[in-house]
Amino acid sequence: MRRLRWCAPALAAAALLAAGCGGSDNGGGSGSDSSKPIRIGASLPLTGDFSEPGKAAQQGYQVWQKMVNDQGGLLGRKVQVVVRDDASDQNTVVADYNALISRQKVDMLLGTFSSLLNLPASTVAERNRKLYVEPAGGAPEIFDRGYKHIFFAQQATADHQGDVFAQYILGLPPSERPKTAAYPSLDDPFALPVLQGLREKFEKAGIKTVYTTKYASENTNFDSIANAVKAANPDILMHGATFADGVNFVRALDKVGYKPKYFFQTSAPSFADQYSKGIGVENTEGTFYAVSWDAKAQTPGNAAFVKQFNQMFGAGEPAEDAADAFAAAQVMQAAVKAVGGIDDQTKLADWIRSHSVNTILGPLRWDKTGAPQGQFLIGQWQSGKSQIVLPKAAATSQTIVKKNAGA
Amino acid sequence: MSRVLPRSPWTWLVVAFWVVLLLFPVASSDLFFQNMIILSLVFAIGAVSLNIISGYGGYVSLGQSAFLGIGAYTVGLLSIRVDVSPFVFVPLAGVVGAAFATLLGVIAMRTRGHAFVILTIAFLLLTQLVLLNWPSFTQGSKGLSLPLALFDPSIQNWPFYYALAALLALSVLMSWRIRRTKLGMGLIAMREDEDKAATVGVSTPTYKILGFVASAVFLSMAGGVYAYYLNFIDPRGMFDIVISVQIVLSMLLGGRATLWGPVLGAFIIEPLNEFANQSLGGGNSRLLIFGGLMALVVMFMPQGIVPFAGELLEKRRRRGQDAIVGARVERPLVIREREDAPVGHEVQPGRALLDVRAIEKRFGGVRAVDGCSFVVPEGSITALIGPNGSGKTTAFNLIDGMMRPDAGEVWFDGRRVDGLRPWRRAHLGIGRTFQITRLFREMTVLENVVAPLRSFSWRQLNADAVSGPEAARAEELLEFVGMRRYRDEKARALSYGQQKLVELAQVLMLDPKLILLDEPAGGINPTAIERMGEMIRRLNRQGTTFLIVEHNMPFVLGLCDPVLVLARGTCICEGGPEVVQQDPRVLDAYLGEDFVLEEVGV
Amino acid sequence: MTEFAQAIILGLLIGGVYALMASGLSLIFGVMNVINTAHGAFLILSAFLTYSIWTATGLDPLVAILITTPAMFGFGWLLYSGSIRRIREAPAAASVLLTFSLALVLEGLMGLIWGNTSHAVRPAYFNQSFTVGDLFLPKAQVYGCLVAIAVLVALWLFLARTWTGRAIRASAVNPQGARLVGVNVAAVATMTFAIGVATTGAGGSIVGVLYPFLPGSHYLWISRLLGIIVLGGMGSLPGAVVGALLIGVGESLTSTYISPQWTTAVPYVVIFLVLLGRPQGLLGARLREDVAAV
Repeated sequence: MRRLRWCAPALAAAALLAAGCGGSDNGGGSGSDSSKPIRIGASLPLTGDFSEPGKAAQQGYQVWQKMVNDQGGLLGRKVQVVVRDDASDQNTVVADYNALISRQKVDMLLGTFSSLLNLPASTVAERNRKLYVEPAGGAPEIFDRGYKHIFFAQQATADHQGDVFAQYILGLPPSERPKTAAYPSLDDPFALPVLQGLREKFEKAGIKTVYTTKYASENTNFDSIANAVKAANPDILMHGATFADGVNFVRALDKVGYKPKYFFQTSAPSFADQYSKGIGVENTEGTFYAVSWDAKAQTPGNAAFVKQFNQMFGAGEPAEDAADAFAAAQVMQAAVKAVGGIDDQTKLADWIRSHSVNTILGPLRWDKTGAPQGQFLIGQWQSGKSQIVLPKAAATSQTIVKKNAGA
Repeated sequence: MSRVLPRSPWTWLVVAFWVVLLLFPVASSDLFFQNMIILSLVFAIGAVSLNIISGYGGYVSLGQSAFLGIGAYTVGLLSIRVDVSPFVFVPLAGVVGAAFATLLGVIAMRTRGHAFVILTIAFLLLTQLVLLNWPSFTQGSKGLSLPLALFDPSIQNWPFYYALAALLALSVLMSWRIRRTKLGMGLIAMREDEDKAATVGVSTPTYKILGFVASAVFLSMAGGVYAYYLNFIDPRGMFDIVISVQIVLSMLLGGRATLWGPVLGAFIIEPLNEFANQSLGGGNSRLLIFGGLMALVVMFMPQGIVPFAGELLEKRRRRGQDAIVGARVERPLVIREREDAPVGHEVQPGRALLDVRAIEKRFGGVRAVDGCSFVVPEGSITALIGPNGSGKTTAFNLIDGMMRPDAGEVWFDGRRVDGLRPWRRAHLGIGRTFQITRLFREMTVLENVVAPLRSFSWRQLNADAVSGPEAARAEELLEFVGMRRYRDEKARALSYGQQKLVELAQVLMLDPKLILLDEPAGGINPTAIERMGEMIRRLNRQGTTFLIVEHNMPFVLGLCDPVLVLARGTCICEGGPEVVQQDPRVLDAYLGEDFVLEEVGV
Repeated sequence: MTEFAQAIILGLLIGGVYALMASGLSLIFGVMNVINTAHGAFLILSAFLTYSIWTATGLDPLVAILITTPAMFGFGWLLYSGSIRRIREAPAAASVLLTFSLALVLEGLMGLIWGNTSHAVRPAYFNQSFTVGDLFLPKAQVYGCLVAIAVLVALWLFLARTWTGRAIRASAVNPQGARLVGVNVAAVATMTFAIGVATTGAGGSIVGVLYPFLPGSHYLWISRLLGIIVLGGMGSLPGAVVGALLIGVGESLTSTYISPQWTTAVPYVVIFLVLLGRPQGLLGARLREDVAAV
């Protein structure tokens, strides 16, 4: 009997050997071989908690691939985007990027969705000194680590997403300006910094904080929070949310019978029909939100992107995440074109750091940590439709609804 | 391990495993596989560690990933505050993990079975919640980024890989060592029958805590290394209950309570996990596979691959052979004199060794023991007789500590013991056998006899149980009771009579001053009864006092003096055998008042 | 003061719903000594079923209970016969592991079938509340609580007044004695498990209206339910009701006066305190000491 214990490590050893020797890797590295396509690898959450934005991002990459190849490719070579599914799991995303680099031997990398996944994934890229442009991971901590190869392809990190809105509120005449504010938020590395950024600015300008709270994503009983907000009665209500909790919070406010004068919510209101169906169209009026992109924006290449997207994936507006992914690919493309090669990725990173790139989100530029230095768009729901209202240059509606419905 | 060059082919396979493991990163620069092995190592360390408290000790824990996370956060929090390589903090992670394990052991002292599993789940999730809600210290949901380790790209994973391989080696070594010591025996005894283990001196709370600490130390260190490797940790990722499930599954699948089973399980499950995530569509299929696999293992192969395969091969090997347990008892009856007579059992005849004063025990409305008082003189073989239901076994339970009296006192060897836990009483010198034998079924006969702990000392816990003085002593006791050649048989394979003998040997391992025998002559053949009586006499001559519950009157009356009679929970008579036989109260208790005896004193 | 009263009301309303689900769990444990850690997953499954029924036919979720309850009963019956029955003789921890693995399988299946995004059932009265003075009573909560009470009463009547119910109670107290008086204990065990799971049918439909849910929500629910039955006393139905109300109010007060962040901690803290201080809970039976551990 004791002997049999030893067969266990034997089997394990055999398994290792078989895997190591027998495992085939698909596709060799192409290096500078100009006849082979440039292979670009990304891992995305195609399943799991982040699967919806993950799939949208995949669409964005695919639209980019088609458009680039139709226009003759990059550096005269076709591009091929290879996507792996990380199932919204941190360990898997690390395995994926390791596989992309060492087994599938891709030439370039593109980022994944969500800060929680981009954080460990970018470590793999940095260790291997590969350029890593990511479409959706705006937590400021990503850029605090001294990495040299990572860039965020939106206009600002999370803590600055509300800047334009803060400017607007603080610029209101004193009779209209809110005097008290409440900041309930999901405990999430994206939603929290947005609210914290806004809160700092508001408190500095004298707007009193009357209620603030954090809740875990599993907590789904919003009645007590709505109850507390109602009791605090703030002039302006800022809510840090993703989607589901955003919807449920608004409904809870409804149940309690409370409507704030100004209402700003992260993420959820940018979901167009889903949002209005979820909370009822009449409840959307006046709600502000920050967004990185709008289908109607007059940014270079935007119309072509939307058109190509509709050709490939049917009618309807592309999701913001698809546009962000497309923009990330654009940034990478610009660097490669400018530098003229893909072998020295550190050189590519240096180029991006010192230049601005025109994307469908508008012009993007970065500081030395890879954090972008632009301005987010501010949207507002008006008469059952979401519109861009700020900055004025990009606005699709020139009016701003001053008071929230029914307040 | 006295042979210099291992002859067994299986040992070569272990060597092969280690050679492949250690040479892999040198031979192949495949990052994907290095990553997979690193993860497998983490899970292997987790499973081997879990095996100590769950496999050996029988306390299934779903909270193992808490220690992974605790180690990760210890290293993470220190490395962002102090500018030194995070590897420096890895041993400290082990210490912090051990501290938490001690805390958990203390909290869990009184819980068992499913209450315990629930507690470990609550521990894991509560720790996760606290870390999430303490952003000033841990950065909460944003997570923690460790300083980036920039090694030469050609060896970038090696420090983590080899650190984890070293930790695996250490944890396997620890598991091997514990299994061979009395600590390990005690843990397995606890798993098999916790209450019985307590009566043979296994101080269960201490063993539990030690088992926990052992199951946490290396896993916490692995967590620290893993945190540095991953470079980013957050409460949700590190304290994920599915990681705990994966660790438990690895241990169960590979074979719990085996040395290498958990390693095998981990190296099967983690690649399977990767495969599920990549090829079968992500998180959901992983849940299906893990859940399905664990359900199948629990239902159909609960002991795991290695023991299962082992049994199959063992059956084939033994086909056609007679089982040793069916062999006849050897004749003529020879009882060897024990070489080492018990030390320090100075007998003062007439002194009361056991003094039971007016003890009471109620179960609901039933008064099983009702104001019972008696004295057992030192150096005597005292009998405790009485009709069924008179409270004899309950009295035993009150004396050895399995139950607490509702009233009254129990004095042993001049000190009051009714408030002491069973193992304390065992250490003081009380040993007890059971009416229906309670051996540790999955342990061998020898292991059963080595498990009891005479007195609590670290040296005893660390003493070698498989060879060395403890084992030698156990063999000698087995020789005494005539069961020596069964030493390697599993206890569950023995017949009832054989089990009784082994149980007696167990008790003798404690070197007791007083042995309580619960129906020693019950259910065994006349030859065995004779032998039992002879052994009792011998032991008594060497200074052991006996209190025997028995229904076999000739056996009792021929062997014992004095005789105590219990009826309806109280002691109604005591005295020499002849006196008791004739006492009308005794006859009344046994036979009832309307029965007239024709002949007295059969 | 209003805030306090409001918090209590909300806690009691939700506690009533918790009581329904906890009673099923308590029943299963009391009769079979099995901790069904998949209870939360059954709940969420029923919520998903209700959601599908609602999106397909528009049927009010509280009416859909008439469909989900028998459906879950059958599902529980099958599951018990197929798997849990096999481990009746195994040590206690085996039941926890087996049911936990079933919970994982269910979570994976629900994810594959319905996806991992949040779902909610939103009938017309979802946004509305009854107002009593300064207090608001959300309609969904009130209806849910009323339905829960109705089902609980039905369950109690079943256990107290029918032969099967008495057989179940007998098996809980003394399986051997029950066998001796002609109770088919094995069939009773199956029946009990199925009834316990059936309570999640009703509970899940209510939950679907009250809270958004996704496949991974079952962890939260099982933690809560375990906290409830540990507090009330494992195996005691009145204990489950008392525990449920206490935890409902406790969560509500924690959310209002401490922080919503810590609401999820309430069941865990309760589990720790009870198992340490008074393992039998508030109303649980004291474990008999003379029951041998063999």
